Amino acid sequence: MRNLSMMLEFVLFLSVSLFSIGIYGLITSRSMVRALMCLELLLNSVNMNLVAFSDIFDSRQLKGEIFSIFVIAIAAAEAAIGLAIISSIYRNRKSIRINQSNLLKN
Amino acid sequence: MDLPGPIHDIFVVFLGSILILGGLGVVLLMNPIDSAFSLGLVLVCISLFYISLNSYFVAAAQFLIYVGAINVLIIFAVMFINGSEYSNDSYLWTIGDRITSQICISIFFSLITIIPDTSWYGIFRTTKSNQIIEQDLISNVQQIGIHLSTDFYLPFELISIILLVSLIGAITIARQ
Repeated sequence: MRNLSMMLEFVLFLSVSLFSIGIYGLITSRSMVRALMCLELLLNSVNMNLVAFSDIFDSRQLKGEIFSIFVIAIAAAEAAIGLAIISSIYRNRKSIRINQSNLLKN
Repeated sequence: MDLPGPIHDIFVVFLGSILILGGLGVVLLMNPIDSAFSLGLVLVCISLFYISLNSYFVAAAQFLIYVGAINVLIIFAVMFINGSEYSNDSYLWTIGDRITSQICISIFFSLITIIPDTSWYGIFRTTKSNQIIEQDLISNVQQIGIHLSTDFYLPFELISIILLVSLIGAITIARQ
């Protein structure tokens, strides 16, 4: 019992640290690929929360794991779309800097 | 996973330290190929964490989809976009970065102080008393399959449509 709550707190601590690292990288990164990587970090920290809560509080029904599977599928779609957009921008502009992508200007 | 106590604790703490170091490496490493491999390390560690949390199906799905598909796709994109422009700009520590780091550290510490204040044991006891009635002996993977084919059937089909549409859209955008 005591062990389970300590395990939950440890997983929540890891998830919080990954989330703050991911937000920092998402805001301050200059290249788009690194921003996508930090987005994957954010989704993974949320997934860790879902799996930990569903394992410890809901070990009969396991609905949190189903939501985590949905999050994984959405993350796969997001990575495919994002990398396609990045490669298209790079082909047009020869640059993937975030602050230089002004394709909609003029 | 049913390891004996101290081995389990050492395993989990080791995985957690690797995970935090890998997450810092994703953000702070200069070369984007290094940060892509560091992201792969983080994803493998999260998959091992799921194994230690008794959810084997999500661990396998995490390993196959994240490490096998998304990370390979990211490494492909990093190699496809040549690295000539990464070398010339060194990491500038601007005022915006400083403000962002202050905000992220404040978010981190506020959440860290919230976590031990919550009484997880009380929540655990109330949820456990509700679940004592249904003592069914089916495994986790069977439970996930039953949920996906009965009461989560509509989101499952919608996920498949979203995946199909997004993959066709990705091919259309990247082709040209």
